[in-house]
Amino acid sequence: MIELAYLIPLIPAAAAFVMLFGGKEDPHSPMPWVGIAAMGVCLALSVSIFWAAAAGTVALPYEHNWHWFSFAAQVAGKPFVYDMPIGVLIDGPAAVTLVVVAMVSLMVQVYSVAYMHGDIRFKLYFAYVSFFTAAMLGLVASSNLLVTFACWELMGLSSYLLIGFWFEREGPCEAQKKAFMTTKLGDSGLYLALLFLYAKVGSFQLSQIYQFFDKGYMPPMVATVIGLGILLGAAGKSAQAPLFIWLPDAMEGPTPGSALIHAATMVAAGILLVSKTYFVFLASPTAMEAAGWVGLITAFLAASMALVSYDIKRVLAFSTVSQLGFMMCALGVGGFTAGLFHLTTHAFFKALLFLGAGSVIHSVHTNDMRQMGGLSKKMPLTFVTMLIAILAISGVPGLSGYYSKDMILANVWNHDHRMFWILLFTALMTAFYMFRLFFLTFWGDDRDHEKFHHAHESPALITGPLVVLAVFSAFAGAGLNHNGLVYKLIAKPTISAAATAAPAPGEHAAAVEPAEHSSAHEAAGEHGEHHEGHLPPWLHLTTIVLVLCSITLSFFLYRGPTYAVADAVKTSLAPLYTLLERRWYFDDFFYALVVVADKVAALAFWIDDNVVDRVFVDGWGLLMRIFAQLSDLFDNVFVDSAVDGVGGLGNDVGVGLRSLVREGQVQEYLMYAAIAFSLAATLILTR
Amino acid sequence: MIERIVFYSLSAVTLLAALGVVTLRNTVHSSLLLGLSLAGAAGLFASLGADFLFAAQIMVYVSGIAVLIMFSVMLLGRASDLHLRQVNEQWMAALLICAVSSAGLLKIARAYSETLPAAAAAPQTRTLGLLFMGDWLLAFELVSLVLTAALLGAVFFSRSEASR
Amino acid sequence: MTLSHYLIVAALLFLIGVFGALTRRNIIGILMSIELMFNAANINLVAFERFLHPAGSAGSALALFIMTVAAAEVVVGLALLMAIYRNTDTAYVEHFNLLKG
Repeated sequence: MIELAYLIPLIPAAAAFVMLFGGKEDPHSPMPWVGIAAMGVCLALSVSIFWAAAAGTVALPYEHNWHWFSFAAQVAGKPFVYDMPIGVLIDGPAAVTLVVVAMVSLMVQVYSVAYMHGDIRFKLYFAYVSFFTAAMLGLVASSNLLVTFACWELMGLSSYLLIGFWFEREGPCEAQKKAFMTTKLGDSGLYLALLFLYAKVGSFQLSQIYQFFDKGYMPPMVATVIGLGILLGAAGKSAQAPLFIWLPDAMEGPTPGSALIHAATMVAAGILLVSKTYFVFLASPTAMEAAGWVGLITAFLAASMALVSYDIKRVLAFSTVSQLGFMMCALGVGGFTAGLFHLTTHAFFKALLFLGAGSVIHSVHTNDMRQMGGLSKKMPLTFVTMLIAILAISGVPGLSGYYSKDMILANVWNHDHRMFWILLFTALMTAFYMFRLFFLTFWGDDRDHEKFHHAHESPALITGPLVVLAVFSAFAGAGLNHNGLVYKLIAKPTISAAATAAPAPGEHAAAVEPAEHSSAHEAAGEHGEHHEGHLPPWLHLTTIVLVLCSITLSFFLYRGPTYAVADAVKTSLAPLYTLLERRWYFDDFFYALVVVADKVAALAFWIDDNVVDRVFVDGWGLLMRIFAQLSDLFDNVFVDSAVDGVGGLGNDVGVGLRSLVREGQVQEYLMYAAIAFSLAATLILTR
Repeated sequence: MIERIVFYSLSAVTLLAALGVVTLRNTVHSSLLLGLSLAGAAGLFASLGADFLFAAQIMVYVSGIAVLIMFSVMLLGRASDLHLRQVNEQWMAALLICAVSSAGLLKIARAYSETLPAAAAAPQTRTLGLLFMGDWLLAFELVSLVLTAALLGAVFFSRSEASR
Repeated sequence: MTLSHYLIVAALLFLIGVFGALTRRNIIGILMSIELMFNAANINLVAFERFLHPAGSAGSALALFIMTVAAAEVVVGLALLMAIYRNTDTAYVEHFNLLKG
């Protein structure tokens, strides 16, 4: 079935176009089922590929290329063929991610049928969602970095369209522009990296680029630049600091859209890109270290901002940013498997969290948690599924999030102890604020009686996906960790020629069998990864205890109908609260940047208008005019008078000669003739 | 000897009469002296052996042109004119010019001071006649045309207003 | 007599004629001076023919032509003079200044 892998992105794309152009826009249109059916097929294909990969019946990586275009050119006098194929490259991470994306997308689409019921652009929404999914699947499965980049940009477009879905209001419009521009800023780095790659390697094919790095042809400086460029692109798309500012505002879009894009799949695209091009980071320790620190800072800042938020979706948005920081940090310290494992589990429980929040919002018609409370009595199914998700994200042992987070912490501990303590503190904050959300929403007594009275459990089409995702949130972690499946599937790549600075004691790069396939993911599979994925037992136990403590703290602060203690703490730490509430002033910083840029541009224009134009252009014109007038003067005074003088001289000579003769006297004329005759006679005849 | 006397006397007559023509106050006297000068020139022609020309000179110039001039003078003359000066104020310049020119002319003339007549003079009438009717026929006819034109012009110009 | 004698005579006659043409106030005086000049030329011609080319008679023939043309010219000149005299009632050259300017 893996030969049909190319269909996986194409089926949703076709469905998207069918839904876009077929049928009329109708709040109760049946077109969404076309998309759902397409996604079902996609999911089946992805699962079959995953199953084959897990069982080992198909050899990964699987690559198949079709010829797209090529042309011959001359480079420095030598002939060179530009060859651009298009095709699929399915390796372990791709196989896992395909399943994740297809599953989450399917759940979201089913959910949306009920959630977006009655919306004026009902059909268009599903077209957008299918289109987005097709782009994401294309990014995951593509073997060509240029096609990946194209899908990357298409996802940016879909995100723009979905955030601003309700564009009649001003909030979504501002948010969609902010998202697009911020991610575009990051994309500039990615574009630069692509240019460097192509300039050095001469090809966009991932397998060929890996070979290039493997043989050590890439100079370290260029590798660093490429790595930092990719990191910048990932920072834009995966909302790392300082480009995370768009994600909290992106909550203006419909909640299922947020679940798909901003929780589970699109924001993971950055992490995925880093993992696809991991050999770049292996070749450049600087870029790797930068990735680690960027991820750590992001995780910490976002978690701190989530502590003070009252909007249920905003808390989840900050949580997403924070978890993405975890993933990036894991990749940056060399925990390749850990990062991608967390990506998978996070997709499930974050999608569940968003859909659950959507269910709550749908029921009580408000986002503000201060108006909720005691909803466990009214919405039992939502309550249970949300609890499972929150337990998973907090890293409570047994659920999926525990395994992945544990793996990340272990990798960080083995890399740098300072980073570990900061990350641990962030994990504790995560547990705290997630349970804060849980207690404020579902526990205790209601705070707003009117809303509580009208609250009800959501219909089956909404709660069904919640249940499915809850199952995955609970068991996906354990399932993947069973028998080290995750290590086998998501094996850390190596490059033979570079000095890998990731200090992984068990990482014997030399233990790699000579790779026949030109992919990065065949190496170092089963051997030395196991003991690296665990913390020392005392630390492990300490971590679990600390997490439970923070949950308990949250319980005591937020379980009652009022949270007076929490409020007291807030007022006593007012400056800190303001800092967190203003999102560490990142928004203000960027706004100031824009204002400064505007002023600089205005200054440049002023200089151009007043200095350049006046001095050079007008001045030159004035100079030319002066010169022209001088020429005119010269012409009048000298040249014209010379001409007049000559004419006047002729006239004067004639008049003068005429005055010698008394006019009209013939004999005088005769006299002159006679004079001439006499002169002639004398001169000629007397010679 | 005879030849010399003849020549000098004829030359004297011609030149003195000419001087009289250009200096006298009385125009009638001038015209009479013109006739005399022309006759003297005829004599010079004869001394040179041009017999036909001598005859033609007498007939045409003396009795034709000189008489005509006399007529005109008498037609135009007024008694009051006798007291007027007939020479205008540029006579000194004219004299100078003549003096200057004479230098050159006389020099040329003196270049031939050794030349003597080659043979005796022969009658020319027959020769001239043959020339006019032979080689120079065209010139002869053209000259007669000139005379006709002159005649017509004279008639035209001297008609009075009444007969125009 | 040598040729130079006749040439001298002719030259003097010519110069007298020139003097007269330049100085006479009366028009007829000028015409008479012109006649003198014509005659001087005739004498020259005949003298040259007699002394240098006695075989031909081109000199005399040319002298005849000159005589004829001189006659015609005198006739026309006098006719013009009559016409002018009728209009201006003067025969003095200094009064004929219509060529002025």
